[in-house]
Amino acid sequence: MSGTLSRRSFLKLGAVSAGALVVGQFVPPAVAQAATNAGLLNTKGNGYIPSMCEMCVWRCGLIAKVRNGRVVKLDGNPDHPHSKGHLCVRGQSGLMNTYDPDRVLTPLIRVGKRGEGRFRKATWAEALDFTASKMLDIKAKYGPEAMIFSSTHNLSQVQFENLLYAFGSPNYGTQRSLCFNAMIVANLMTYGMEEPERIYDDQLKYIILTGRNLMEAISTSETSALSAAIARGVKVVYLDPRFTKTAAKASEWLPIKPGTDLAFHLALLNVIIGENLYNRSFVENYTVGFEALAKEVQPYTPEWAAPITEIPAETIRRIAHEFAAAAPHALAHNGWRTSNFVNSFQTQRAITILNALIGNWNVVLRASGGESSSALGKPPQPPYPRASAVRLDGVPSKFPVVPLKIGVFQELRDNILTGQPYQAHGWFIARQNPVMSLPDRTKTLEAFQKMDFIVTVDILLNDTAWFSDVVLPEASYLERYDPLNPVGDKVFLRQPVIDPQGDARSALWIYKQLGERLGLKDYFQYQDEEDYLRQQLAPLGISLQDVKAKGYAQLPEGKAAPEYSWNTPSGKIELQSSTLAKVGFPAVPTWIEPPEPPQGQFYLLTGKVAQSTQFGTQNNQLLHKYADEPRLWLNDKVAADRGIADGDWVEVASQVGKVHTRVRVTPGIRQDCVYLTPGYGHLSKGLTTAFGRGASSSVLHVTYADPVSGGQALTQTFVTVRKA
Amino acid sequence: MSTRGNTPRYGFLIDASLCIDCRSCMVACSVENNVPMDVTRIWIKETGITGTFPNLKRFTAPYHCMHCIDPSCVSACTVGALTRSEEGIVKYDKDACIGCRYCMYACPFEVPNYEWNQRFPQVIKCDMCFARLGEGQQPACAATCPTGAIQFGKYEDMLAEAHRRINEHPDKYVPHVYGEQENGGTATLYISPVPFEELGFPDAGTTSPAFSNRLVTEGTPLVAGAMLVGLTGAYLTIKHQKEEAEKERAEQTTGEE
Amino acid sequence: MRSKLFNELRTLPKFIYVLAAIALFGLSVGAYRMYAGLGATTNLSKAFPWGIWISFDLSTVALAAGAFTLATLVYVFQFEDLHSAMRPTLLAGLLGEGSVLVILLFDLGRWDHFYNVFLRPNFSSALLIVSWCLAAYALILIYEVSPVLLEKSRWKWLLPAIKRFTVPIVIVGGTLSVMHQSSLGTLFVIMSPRLHPLWYSMLLPVFFLVSSLAAGISLVIAGATISYWLLGRSLKIKTIAKLGWFLPWILAFYLVLKFGELIIADETDLLFSSGMYSLLFWAEIVIGAVIPICLFAFKRVRNSRVASMLGALILIAGIILNRFDVTWFAIKPVAGQVYMPHWMEVAVMVGVAAGLVAVYSLVARYFPVYEETVTYQRPSPEKSLTAQPALPGKPAAEPGAVAGD
Repeated sequence: MSGTLSRRSFLKLGAVSAGALVVGQFVPPAVAQAATNAGLLNTKGNGYIPSMCEMCVWRCGLIAKVRNGRVVKLDGNPDHPHSKGHLCVRGQSGLMNTYDPDRVLTPLIRVGKRGEGRFRKATWAEALDFTASKMLDIKAKYGPEAMIFSSTHNLSQVQFENLLYAFGSPNYGTQRSLCFNAMIVANLMTYGMEEPERIYDDQLKYIILTGRNLMEAISTSETSALSAAIARGVKVVYLDPRFTKTAAKASEWLPIKPGTDLAFHLALLNVIIGENLYNRSFVENYTVGFEALAKEVQPYTPEWAAPITEIPAETIRRIAHEFAAAAPHALAHNGWRTSNFVNSFQTQRAITILNALIGNWNVVLRASGGESSSALGKPPQPPYPRASAVRLDGVPSKFPVVPLKIGVFQELRDNILTGQPYQAHGWFIARQNPVMSLPDRTKTLEAFQKMDFIVTVDILLNDTAWFSDVVLPEASYLERYDPLNPVGDKVFLRQPVIDPQGDARSALWIYKQLGERLGLKDYFQYQDEEDYLRQQLAPLGISLQDVKAKGYAQLPEGKAAPEYSWNTPSGKIELQSSTLAKVGFPAVPTWIEPPEPPQGQFYLLTGKVAQSTQFGTQNNQLLHKYADEPRLWLNDKVAADRGIADGDWVEVASQVGKVHTRVRVTPGIRQDCVYLTPGYGHLSKGLTTAFGRGASSSVLHVTYADPVSGGQALTQTFVTVRKA
Repeated sequence: MSTRGNTPRYGFLIDASLCIDCRSCMVACSVENNVPMDVTRIWIKETGITGTFPNLKRFTAPYHCMHCIDPSCVSACTVGALTRSEEGIVKYDKDACIGCRYCMYACPFEVPNYEWNQRFPQVIKCDMCFARLGEGQQPACAATCPTGAIQFGKYEDMLAEAHRRINEHPDKYVPHVYGEQENGGTATLYISPVPFEELGFPDAGTTSPAFSNRLVTEGTPLVAGAMLVGLTGAYLTIKHQKEEAEKERAEQTTGEE
Repeated sequence: MRSKLFNELRTLPKFIYVLAAIALFGLSVGAYRMYAGLGATTNLSKAFPWGIWISFDLSTVALAAGAFTLATLVYVFQFEDLHSAMRPTLLAGLLGEGSVLVILLFDLGRWDHFYNVFLRPNFSSALLIVSWCLAAYALILIYEVSPVLLEKSRWKWLLPAIKRFTVPIVIVGGTLSVMHQSSLGTLFVIMSPRLHPLWYSMLLPVFFLVSSLAAGISLVIAGATISYWLLGRSLKIKTIAKLGWFLPWILAFYLVLKFGELIIADETDLLFSSGMYSLLFWAEIVIGAVIPICLFAFKRVRNSRVASMLGALILIAGIILNRFDVTWFAIKPVAGQVYMPHWMEVAVMVGVAAGLVAVYSLVARYFPVYEETVTYQRPSPEKSLTAQPALPGKPAAEPGAVAGD
């Protein structure tokens, strides 16, 4: 595997042949011919092809510039609402994701011990046959539930789920409990929808941003909207224990004590209710449970919250006044990755309710179109078998209000170890890196050792692939079709802009091939990717050719959703949630005291960096070129007291693990916190750029699940820091 | 054909209050222009974190070639590898370059980077993505910037917008458009919420040193001419004097006989 | 044939082999630099795109100024008695410019495009003027040195034709040299922000020219004493004294210009408040001007070989310091970065310098370089001249007496 590659020489790569591999009767489409037929490429293999980015979940529309059959530049698609013509730093580096010299381009079968990284190349036939036989073996011996299927949500998720349900396993692992379970479940309880859409218009005056470092956790269009709002003079109050790049842009940065966002928002509720600053008519007409809420928040005054949050009471009161004065053009932003503390769910409830109290529905928030594909067609299939076994992740037995499609991932991992209520034996992982993402990496690796069979679908030899038995190479997002993606009033297409390199294949193809060998061919009634897409387009009466040319198609005007209706048991916004009450959880937001680190220890913060996405992009050489060196942030006063200088090596230890890393001394963090640049400390030597760089916070994270939303409490890990 | 001095056709307006240091511009530029992994044409200048907790501030701005109206690098380049086009784009011809690196010293903005690690190195410098301009696209950095910190368009429009923003938000910007006068005026213009020295921008006077450089270098033929005339004159005069002195001595001796 | 060469090689003094080895090593390192790139073999960086090679080049050019200074004095201003120093000085000048060209070839990032300097010149560029003057002047020096090489060869019939055009060639050469020396100063005129104001001035071309005159003359003086010791050949004391006489005037003029410029530019406060820069500036002035003025103002110094040589060497050191200051020490560091040359840069430089001395020695050994100089008895350890076998070409002389005086 080569080291750092000169930009010029990488364009000389790709000498790997893209020959059509015949497996069964399924020949992948010849991209160049197809694109030329669609008028996108001229005969020399030059032109512009629209598709969609996959460097993060925002999935901006892009336009790929192709020269001589190679993609040489990516630009934002002006017609896509998420990009509006721009691509963020990761989107721009997507080429190096596709042309990464560490790409896995043939199926691999493990030959050494698990974790040694010794594989042999195999044909698709052999790899798929082997995988299917192992999966069927497990199914026969232990039942389909012994096979876990996990994937981080992506555009081919519908077919992943198809495989899961057709196989008959209930065990669906997604990464969401490591991310936004608290936010989603809170929205579900309050509004009956996962995430309302936020409207950044010219009237917006005030934003309270709790975490959600939009200037680094870039969601292109929303980052752009927030930046424009600030430029226009919108006041942005930003809560974060760390001076992030969003803090640098915010009107007011509050370095709040970790875990106490809840107290802050409860105090806001207290002021707004106590001083009658809420929108009376809206509350009366469209919400239920106001009295219970008012009673609950009565003791939560700013004076009560001030010592807890370490934010002055006058500040809290002032912000409540400013927020209410700006109503309804004021937004309390829920944030996104809300996996901080066990009380994060309550914080999320408080924030949703804050919006409801000032009546900003259909002004600043509204029902989103979501990602429902209801207007699209799909291939016919028989009904799914009933998955009779209970889930290993405790949903819904232990987590009654967590949606099945979201689950509690860390609980799933823990029950692999406990073997309760039954032992899992196999794991099918697609586009996900649980070795790196789950808290307490030591435990995850133990769980891996308990598996009889692990198969991973990925484009690189990521850490999870490193520990797998079979690696199935997916084509990168620039090399494949995926199911159509509705966004707003359009449906967008991901299409290959170049032929897949080596033997890489799309997930659509992989799932079908595997499904057929598992005896599930009736669930995969499409010939190839284009056939699948045509079936999706059939109800719309649009040809695939047309969609390929523009990159999207207009959806028919659907029935307008009623403006003031919510999918809750009462049909209204539930300040007091009957669902929560029914299962014995607090029905209104309530104070739950967060734990604090013992004297001399620190909260271990995590966060986002613009130049990386979670755990999958650290090997991208372009991002590597322009990202800061991963470090542990340590407050400058604390560093001085401990005699630690910038650049020193330190040992960071939690109750479950320890790492070594270098320090960045900075005034931009609370004295009781440290922050470790996320995503590094990879174990796979197959990631030649990323391996050996930085340290993994997952080694340090202690596993905690919030009982209501199942959200992992990532910031409840406390660490010691010692000069190494 | 001298394109020096004419108003640029295109310009950049870079607003440091909008830059979030995401570095999309850096990646986009590297990809668009096939820049090797160890150099860059565009980078981020910053103030660092200033102030005391919790009243902290930090500002950043992307930085690249200023496309001067009277570029010092163009004046200095030994073989004319750096030229300023009709539209005011300062371009680099890698086939002409001899790698003397004089441009790196001459540029008052410390712009040109160099491919030190290549066997046949090039100067690395923004060229306004003129190939993209030809396709009706904006330069890669401006096209991709998610917050619009980098704007691109007609020079007059960029200059007018810079002043408009300063006038409409006097509390938000220092009242100075960097590049309007610097080095005699540049096509890349900046506005900033903090003084430019705090961002690390060099203090580049209001006239281009290219001007004084030309004074001296174009005075060379004059100097040469003067030297030739002077030295020849000196030679002839002295020779004549010596010959006269010889003649006198000869006459004296003969006279004495 | 081969054995004749072999025998000849065996008679060469040991130091030539040492120099040749150093030169070979330096050139190999230089070849490696061309293979591996500047990044791997130098410590050049964006903060310091020019390094010790350029400092070496500027210093060597300043010293090689002796050639044009002497030629102009002898042929244009017709100081006949300086004629005897012509050949060694011209040879030193030619080899000096040659080594500058060799170092430049290593320094250029695209040395393979060097011809572009001639095919597509940018006449606004001071570096272009430097290059053209350097190239043209090198040609002129070849012309002027050719008699030495051709005199004893079968092409000696060319000599009368060559000598006929000496004066016009010298005049053109002098013009080119003035431009050559001054344009090296002009190089830095465009660098106003990068060069410390104690050195930066639009008069840099004049400063460089004037100091090069002093450097060149000093080289002749120092060279005369060194060749006296090593070879027993030298100039007459009277000649050396006459050369030394020029120096205080040139240096005084230089000081007036330098300090005058600082006063007019209102930068005199920097003279003592610039820390390290003040130190360097004053070192340069004292070593390169004040001490030599004081020395050469005295007849006794001018009339002593040893004292003149010492004074000349001190002056040369000062001028080398000045060139190093302008190209390295007084360049404003970017973001606190400093430049220290990579050992390979030093190796190449030392190799080329060794090569210069070796070639000079070889030419002096086989060609009539010192023919026109005066022969002296080599001084014995007790400093009394005893009768010794004369060197080829001239008869032995009495102590103190000088043949041809």
